[in-house]
Amino acid sequence: MGLTIWQSMQQKGYSRRDFIQFCTAAATVAGLEHSAVGQVVNAFEKKEKPAVIWMHFQECTCCSESFIRASHPVVLDVLLDVLSLNYTETLMAASGAQAEKSLQDTIKNNKGKYIVLVEGAVPTKDDGVYCMIGGKTAESILQEVSKDAAAIIAWGSCASNGCIQAAKPNPTGATPIHKLVDKPVINVPGCPPIADVMMAVVTHILALGQMPQLDNQGRPKEFYGRRVHDTCYRRAYYDAGLFVEAWDDENARKGYCLYKMGCRGPVTYNACSVVKWNEGTSYPIQSGHGCIGCSEEGFWDNGPFYRHLPKFPGFGIESTADTIGTLVGIATVAGVAAHAVVTNVRKKSVIADVHTEDMKES
Amino acid sequence: MSTTLQPARPTMKKPVDYYRIYVWELPVRLYHGINAVAMILLCVTGYLIGEPHRVFYAAEAYQLYWFGIVRFIHFVSAFIWTFNFAFRIYWGFVGNRYASWRNYFPITKQQRHDIWNVLTTDVLQFRVKNDEIDIGHNSLAAFTYFITFLFFLAQVVTGFALYSSMSTSALPSMFNWIVPIMGGEAVVRFWHHLFMWFFVVFMIVHIYLAFYHDYIEGRGTISSIVGGWKFHREDDDNK
Amino acid sequence: MTRIVVDPVTRIEGHLRVEAVVENGVITDAFSSGTMVRGLEKILIGRDPRDAWAFTERVCGVCTTVHALTSVRAVEDALGIKVPPTAEIIRNIMMAAQQVQDHVVHFYHLHALDWVDVVNCLKADPKKAAELAQSFSKWDKNNTAYFTEIQNKVKKFAETGLGIFANGYWGHPAYKLPPEVNLIAVAHYIDALEWQKELVKIHAIFGGKNPHPNYLVGGVPCSININEVGAINGERLNLVAKLIAQADEFVNEVYIPDLLAVASFYKDWAKWGGGLTNYLSYGEYPTKGYAEVDAFKMSRGVILGRDLSKVLPVNAKDSQEIKEYIAHSWYDYKGGNNEGLHPWAGETEIKYTGPKPPFTSLEGSEKYSFLKTPRWKENPMEVGPLARVLVSYASGHADVKEIVGAVLGKLQVPVAALFSTLGRTGARAVDCALAMNYLKEFFGELMDRVKANDVATFNGEKWDPKSWPSEAEGVGLTEAPRGALAHWIKIKDGAIENYQLVVPTTWNGSPRDVKNQHSSFEASLIGTPVAKLDEPVEILRTIHSFDPCLACSVH
Ligand code: HEM
Ligand code: HEM
Ligand code: NFV
Ligand code: SF4
Ligand code: SF4
Ligand code: F3S
Ligand SMILES: [Mg+2]
Repeated sequence: MGLTIWQSMQQKGYSRRDFIQFCTAAATVAGLEHSAVGQVVNAFEKKEKPAVIWMHFQECTCCSESFIRASHPVVLDVLLDVLSLNYTETLMAASGAQAEKSLQDTIKNNKGKYIVLVEGAVPTKDDGVYCMIGGKTAESILQEVSKDAAAIIAWGSCASNGCIQAAKPNPTGATPIHKLVDKPVINVPGCPPIADVMMAVVTHILALGQMPQLDNQGRPKEFYGRRVHDTCYRRAYYDAGLFVEAWDDENARKGYCLYKMGCRGPVTYNACSVVKWNEGTSYPIQSGHGCIGCSEEGFWDNGPFYRHLPKFPGFGIESTADTIGTLVGIATVAGVAAHAVVTNVRKKSVIADVHTEDMKES
Repeated sequence: MSTTLQPARPTMKKPVDYYRIYVWELPVRLYHGINAVAMILLCVTGYLIGEPHRVFYAAEAYQLYWFGIVRFIHFVSAFIWTFNFAFRIYWGFVGNRYASWRNYFPITKQQRHDIWNVLTTDVLQFRVKNDEIDIGHNSLAAFTYFITFLFFLAQVVTGFALYSSMSTSALPSMFNWIVPIMGGEAVVRFWHHLFMWFFVVFMIVHIYLAFYHDYIEGRGTISSIVGGWKFHREDDDNK
Repeated sequence: MTRIVVDPVTRIEGHLRVEAVVENGVITDAFSSGTMVRGLEKILIGRDPRDAWAFTERVCGVCTTVHALTSVRAVEDALGIKVPPTAEIIRNIMMAAQQVQDHVVHFYHLHALDWVDVVNCLKADPKKAAELAQSFSKWDKNNTAYFTEIQNKVKKFAETGLGIFANGYWGHPAYKLPPEVNLIAVAHYIDALEWQKELVKIHAIFGGKNPHPNYLVGGVPCSININEVGAINGERLNLVAKLIAQADEFVNEVYIPDLLAVASFYKDWAKWGGGLTNYLSYGEYPTKGYAEVDAFKMSRGVILGRDLSKVLPVNAKDSQEIKEYIAHSWYDYKGGNNEGLHPWAGETEIKYTGPKPPFTSLEGSEKYSFLKTPRWKENPMEVGPLARVLVSYASGHADVKEIVGAVLGKLQVPVAALFSTLGRTGARAVDCALAMNYLKEFFGELMDRVKANDVATFNGEKWDPKSWPSEAEGVGLTEAPRGALAHWIKIKDGAIENYQLVVPTTWNGSPRDVKNQHSSFEASLIGTPVAKLDEPVEILRTIHSFDPCLACSVH
């Protein structure tokens, strides 16, 4: 038989106390009373690797693709040793009725103990017909799988904040997971999230036995606590005021700061500049393109991407806050000047009036 | 305490009595000066943060920190400006009647009448009547300041919300919940940047009007914000 | 007569439902239905055309990169922008890397389990497996110790529940491989999973990350400077070289040999799954600019009726050639249901009229899919590696002919065997081998350009929207891993006025058209025998041979 979680934790040098702490954390995720912790301890001690369900809704599968790019640990070790991924449409052997059976068995046999990973947003417009699996709506499936879940992780910007399908005008009513389930959701945004970040979040729960600390948007602080800008290696150029002024100009070839090319690093919380992508190979800025803010809520609607500020709504594609501001400023100066002229033209009556009054005998 | 002034034109028949009134107490004047300087600095540095201009060529990063300095000035001015503003709110409760917070809201009928008066006479200039010159703010100006204060507040809130991601100290941290509510930092920056233009427009109009009133009314409006004293006509008291 | 439903079809990208009518053990009719829609064509309207690559790239994370490339081509076509040759080479490198990686992942992780019985590998003799593998490949992991280790892993895994392998059709009589071949394939499934993450580091090097690397209208975002640490320099190029060498070994010593080994046990699948007889390819890998189609590495053209003696020209801008229909799709056209629209005039008005969920069958629904139905001169077309290889083969490309000949020769089957499920899967390997060769060649050219210090990667003449005409229209064409991909854009006053995508899986997986002509999925299922109605592995084999991507197809 394979190792239970407790056994494998023991092998790695964890004490029983650590284990109970882990279970407390798991219970917190599951929204259980503290008194129920005992039950959870038993459950994990007896049971095998935790069952995991990976749901796919409105998405592009880039989160799955990213996940399999992980390098530490590599995905196979996780699939074989750490958890039991019983349902994921992208990789599972079973299809159709057999796939549905895998899902139902997992829910039935692991009540309150399985982990749900969600990739994709859920369309809520028109009774949810814009995403259906096996003739059921994504919305109803989400409710079904999350009801008895121990923890829910929202993979990527789609599940965390709606991502591209929720961009204006959001034709299908795409909605992030945390707005639809009444359980705490760990949001791991990014389009997609970094592979090794995804792994770290999973192992934070399963190997470290702790819930990661979350910020006020439900994101693990560990990876979303700092802006790309704060740890960007081009930051020295930013502080020096040395910027790329045009693509592939001399400054670009020196690797100066991309702020003026629209880099969203200053407003984006992600670990790209530290963890980097694809086993630390690079990240957008290192390869010469600004950050587009892919882990931020609503980043699609904060474009265009090649300008530092979003366009000013309703004034054509090239209008910025500054063009509008400059126009209003000019109009004001003109107004003030006109006012001054009128005042001067009328000064006889305005000021003279005061004076005649002044000169009255009393 | 009233001063008799010599008439502007000696040929005039009778001199009018003016007396000096101490309108702007020193704290208000100090507040005003600090506010003006800080706000100009904030607008200039803020604009540069949003739209950096190339100033150095062929320099290396280790030789420079100019963008850091621009931002540093912005943040220092921001703190000064904020506390200055907070102080002014306090002074609105303890200062003289011209500094009182009551001026800023059109609560009384008189104030509303006054706003109408200023609008028609000074702004739109279709009425020639200048019988009710205020000593402190005129009510329209005061009301505009109130609107301005709302923008002050918005700018402080968005500014500190942005600052909260670069700082763990107590004051900025109090604002970090603003960011998700407004829909992310990109959105906060957008509004913070846009509000700058309100201040630019305000300054243009405000400074112009200060000169305008001084010119039309001849009561030392401009010097009052430095010295504190305004002139008041004796005969106005009889109205 | 039975109607069998497979939903979800797994080991694909996205949400596909297949309903097949089986009579006397043979499929007589089929319905392919895409059940998820996002409305990206609507979301694109009003945006800055220079941003469109990022939006469209999110159409798919599996064939990531290809929509971004198609999009920048469309915008450049509309605005008359020529990208510098070095940028073109970098784009080619990224594209070829995507092809290679996508094809290998498809074979091992999406398709193999239709042919390979995972559980059966436990019966294998690792020593015999090693001998067998060594007979057709020099891959140094093909040894007894490694195969034993893999077998033990699978054994342990099976004991704790099968995870992603649970409830497969294991033991189904359609699985024909000897246990040793199953073991080899399972071992390489694992190796491929570890390797696939390597090659795409090329995307990270030039585009910052994978999935979803960055692109740029007018060139590529990375700059080259071999005397700077902050640009593409010698270290970066060395890494690319290493990744390419690694991929070359994997493709030629693992993927292709495995494919041939597996295929040799399934030659009866050269009889089924042929489906349509028309093939469309847009051609790929420009070498003298996107406008010079004749200089592409792979040809553009159409083959009708499997007639390999003629390649017909394709003009994506001709309003009479490519049109999309919605007679059986959940959309509305202003001009009515029976109309076909050229994509520049395309509309995306989603209108669901299917049964109210939850439902068990789409039977009786006139409209049954979120895919539109594209046609070339009213003809249904198969697209994909098979079409790509056939069009280049028929156009007389020597390198293509050589590799096709080698594969057919090893399997001892005629050219006609290509028109089948097996042929489609084999053509993908041919396509992968070609892409691997091009990848090496492009990298050599890139190095030459770096040596000559010809390193401009961006043309900024038309970057500023003020330099654009008030109205413009363009088309971007590419050969994505799954086939002919095109984006049509209309630009007005600097913003996107209309944007329409017609995607490989839209061609292949669409519902029938207004004349009831089937598209590829449906056509290729008809005539296929199904041995066990409740375990229709045959359906999966043929559907998977197309490598469906539903997020792509609907968008
Ligand atoms: C009159 C008042 C102010 C004006 C006109 C002003 C203007 C601006 C402008 C235009 C920007 C650039 C925004 C952009 O385009 O990204 C900016 C940035 C900023 N402002 Fe202000 N601001 C004011 C007050 C404040 C205050 C009270 C704070 C509070 C600390 C503040 C903190 C910031 C911060 C943190 C940034 C971002 C700087 C960076 O990330 O480097 N500002 N401001
Ligand atoms: C950046 C520039 C400035 C800003 C932001 C500013 C702002 C303000 C504010 C907020 C008040 C109301 C004061 C209070 O009630 O405590 C005020 C009043 C006043 N300011 Fe300024 N000020 C600026 C520049 C100036 C200048 C340059 C002058 C004259 C040359 C001036 C003349 C006055 C006068 C005369 C008042 C009293 C207004 C009244 O009687 O209604 N200000 N200013
Ligand atoms: N069909 C398709 Fe794609 C590909 N290859 C797109 O163009 O997969 Ni997502
Ligand atoms: S978050 Fe982005 S990357 Fe992940 S599935 Fe959604 S669109 Fe793809
Ligand atoms: S490149 Fe972007 S993230 Fe890096 S320092 Fe410049 S603005 Fe910040
Ligand atoms: S675009 Fe996304 S990948 Fe990182 S650098 Fe920006 S958050
Ligand atoms: Mg389309």
